[in-house]
Formats: sequence, C-alpha cells, structure tokens
Amino acid sequence: MSSGKVIHLKNVVKKYGGRTVCDIKDNVLGECGIEGLIGPNGAGKTTLINLISNKISLTEGQISFFKDDEEIDISKSSLGKLARIGLVRSNQIIQDFDSLTIMDSLLLSLAPSKQERFYKLFGDKKARKMAEEEIAWYLDFFHFNDPYGHADSAGEKKLLDVIRCMMLKPKYVLMDEPTAGLPEDQTQKAIELMKKKTQEEGMKILIVEHDLELIWGVCEKIHFMSEGKIMIKGTPEEIKCNEIVHKKYIGE
Amino acid sequence: MSSYWIQAISFVAIFIALAGSLYLQSSIGGITNFGIVGFFGVAMYLYTIFVVTLAMPPLLALLAVVGIVFVVALVLGRVILNLGPQSILVATLAFATIIRHLATVLEGVTGAAKGIGTVKMPWDFEKTSDEKILFMVVLIVLAAIVLLYAAKIKKTPYGRLMLSIKDNEVLSESLGKATLNHKVIYFAFTCAIIGLFGALTAPIYTYIFPHFILADVTFVVWIALILGGRMSVWGAVVGIVATKFLFDFGIESALSAFQVRMGPAFGAMWPNIKLAVFGAMLIAIFMFRPNGIVSRKREGGQQ
Repeated sequence: MSSGKVIHLKNVVKKYGGRTVCDIKDNVLGECGIEGLIGPNGAGKTTLINLISNKISLTEGQISFFKDDEEIDISKSSLGKLARIGLVRSNQIIQDFDSLTIMDSLLLSLAPSKQERFYKLFGDKKARKMAEEEIAWYLDFFHFNDPYGHADSAGEKKLLDVIRCMMLKPKYVLMDEPTAGLPEDQTQKAIELMKKKTQEEGMKILIVEHDLELIWGVCEKIHFMSEGKIMIKGTPEEIKCNEIVHKKYIGE
Repeated sequence: MSSYWIQAISFVAIFIALAGSLYLQSSIGGITNFGIVGFFGVAMYLYTIFVVTLAMPPLLALLAVVGIVFVVALVLGRVILNLGPQSILVATLAFATIIRHLATVLEGVTGAAKGIGTVKMPWDFEKTSDEKILFMVVLIVLAAIVLLYAAKIKKTPYGRLMLSIKDNEVLSESLGKATLNHKVIYFAFTCAIIGLFGALTAPIYTYIFPHFILADVTFVVWIALILGGRMSVWGAVVGIVATKFLFDFGIESALSAFQVRMGPAFGAMWPNIKLAVFGAMLIAIFMFRPNGIVSRKREGGQQ
C-alpha cells in the first residue's frame, strides 16, 4: 500500500437549488495505488469526479492537490491547468476527436507545448520520432483494427481515452467507468495497464465502477458513497462485509 | 494580358486567399467568423490612410496594418472566443458592421461616401500595366503560400491541436492544452492574413469607398468554401473559381468571346439572372454533393 495523500476534500458541498447532491466533510484520496469509488446510482460519484476535475463548480468547501509536498488549492483550477499539474480524468461517456486518426490522437497527447505553435510547420517528423517508441508500446499492448484510421467502435474510443490519459504521465487519474463497453480481453488489458502504471511509475488512480468484481480485484482501498456522502472506506474485504454497504447497495 | 484579366486574376487570388483563411479558421480551428469583411475593410482603409494621408512607405504601411489587425483580432478574440459558435458568429458580424459604419461616418478620416485615394501601386514602372502584372504575380504567390500553409498545417502538432479543439474543446483541454489561448492566437494570426489581403486590395481599387466592405464579401467567401468543400483547402480554390471567377468575370468574358450581344433590356436584367443561376447552382450542390465539390468520404464520420 502506497503512503501519502494526493487529494484532500474539505467540506466539499454541491447543491442544486435546495438539493444537496454532494456533502463530504473530510476525505483524502490517493493513499493507495488504485482506489475505488462505489455506490448506488444517484449517490453522487460522477458529481464528485466532476467537482474534483472542476467540470462543475463547488457550492462550498475546498479541494487540495498535493504535488512534491506542496498543497495546491484546485477548487477553481481549469481542466487544462489540472492536467498540467498532473491530475487527469477519463470520461464516463465516450469522447473522441472525429477529425483525428488513432495515431493523430496519440500524437496529440504526447505533443510538447513548444511544438504546438502556428509557425512550426516542419516539426512533425521530429514529434513523431520522439513519440514513436511510446506509441508503439501502447499499440502493441492493446489491439486496434487500424491504428492509422479512425477509432470506429465504442470500445476503441474508450481505450483511446484511457491511453491518452496514461500518456500524460499524471500523478493522479480519475477514471469514470473506464472499462464500460470494453470486450473482456481488453478489460483485462486495461486492468493490467493500471496495475503496471501504479506499481512501476507511482501513478495513483481512482476508479468509479459498477462492476464490483473488477473493484474487489484491483482496488486496495474503496470509498463507499451514498446520498452524496462518503459513508465508509476500507479494504475490499471490509467493504464487502459491511452491513451498510449491503443494505444500501449490494443487497442482502 | 489585358487590364481586365489582370484585375480579374488579382481579385480571384485575393478571394482564394480569403477563402483559404476562412478554411483555416472554420475547418481547422472551428471558429465561425462572419466578420471577414471587417478585418479586410479595416486593413484596406488603414493601408490607404497610411500611404495616402500619412505618406508612409508601402511596405512599412503593410507591416503596420497587419500588426494592427493582429492586435485588434487578439483583443476581440479574447472577448468572444469562449462564447458558443452562434455568439461568435453574431459578434464577428457585429464587428464588421461597426467597421463599415465607421468607414461611412468618419468623413474626415475615410472620406465617407466621397471615398479616399488615390492608392498607387507599391512600385513605380514606366508602364502601368507592368506595375499591375507584378502586383498580380505577388498576389498569386502570397495566395499560394496561404494555400500551402493551410494544406500543410493539418499534419503538424499545431494542426492536430486545432482540430482537437474544433472537435471537442473540453476533451482537448483535459489533455492539458490551453485551448482558449491557442484559439485567440490562431484567430489573430488568421485575421492578420485576411488583413494582409485587405491592404493589398487597396492598390487595385485605387479609390476606396464604404460600399467595398459590404457583408457580401463575407458571404461570397463563405458560400465559396461551402460550395467547394469545407474539408479540404482545395475546396476553397474550387469554390472561388465556381463563384467569384465564374460569375464576376467568366460568364461575361465567355459571352463576349462568342460575340453574344445582349440588348439593353437583357443587360439590365443580367445581374439578377446571374444571381438566379448562382442560387440554382447552390441548391444543386446542396442536393447532390452536400459536403461540397471537393469532398471526401469521412467528414466527422459521415459522408
């Protein structure tokens, strides 16, 4: 189990009108390599992911990100800034760039910002060469029908979303249902990739999933959320046996 | 080469460059600029004021104009480019309307309806026709550079970035890209290209009037790009040839070449006939080739 926290949620509240959809007094994320966030539909899991990634704004509270022993208040940071400091998210709903091929999409993730200038017309060969090895590794690890064509299936687009995140080499990744819609063999590959990244590169991941077998199998720590609150947290064994989790989510 | 054809080719080169710039903004950057004539007009008037009123050397005036248009677009872009596409469309259209209004009311500066001139060619030869031919060649070369840039940009890291912003700005931002900053700089750069060709239009007109910067300049460029095909820069070329060249110069030259004589009544009707034929052609293209004359199989996953 890794030590240290990456994200600290302090009195995080999100209200729509009079309705409170998220209310977390104090919770830390990132103490372990892979953590899970589970809960029934409407528990506020995606809302919490959206609050951390600032896709929606907080009503009250503060979210801090820890990087190199420095605490950064990210409550109002843009998605772009978050990614630049090392916090990225994959998407629950399939997202892609229609104009870009799979290869172009991977090159986009790896492109250094100094190469992305309107007057740099002749840097593509160098950019491709620099990215060649890493892209080849991912294309060898996962299977795409035509890496030089467009991602046509939902599964390929989902995989591409995960790979793009990993390529940014973030400190922390929020993954909202990362394997939904993937075939079994690709799901196993995605899990293998997550484990590899956390063990070998020190990356930390929070997975939001309804597939409990996946959660029990890969997560070192699980946060159980219901009615907008983190009700319980613990190891998979502790969560599996918890009475409240059974009552509110898994069933008797 | 006759003076008529020198002028015709010069205008076609200018409009091809404008359509190429619109292709860069719209098809690569996803920016819906309906104020092309605003940037074009600002540059045309500023160049005229600089070389006629202030007697600046043409090259210095040209550089100053392009720089000013860049800054104006930078400021405007910072204000409007985080709005939705419809808002950007309306805001750029409003900008062009303001520019035309200013050109009409600032009589002391622009000459208003009386016009301002005379703008000479940037060089002085013995024969005026030589001056115009060289100017035409310069315009063709500059338009070709714009087209080559537009054709090449897609295959660069910057082109991929701008395409990603056009397709899905939030997703692009989630990859750490400073999307708004890039859009603003790209908008300013492409508007500066439009400004360059606006300034270079002044010596062709020689005398500048507000009715040169009506919204139909913008509409012609947009129609040409849609007609030619938005997904390829060559669509911009084909579109301008099929609109500006064919309807402003081509048909009349063909009638003249075949010695077709039109009576005065027909001559009076001719502008309206041209518009009707133009409209019919547009409808035919939308019906049978909705992605434009130069279209490819994939356009956002659709034919």
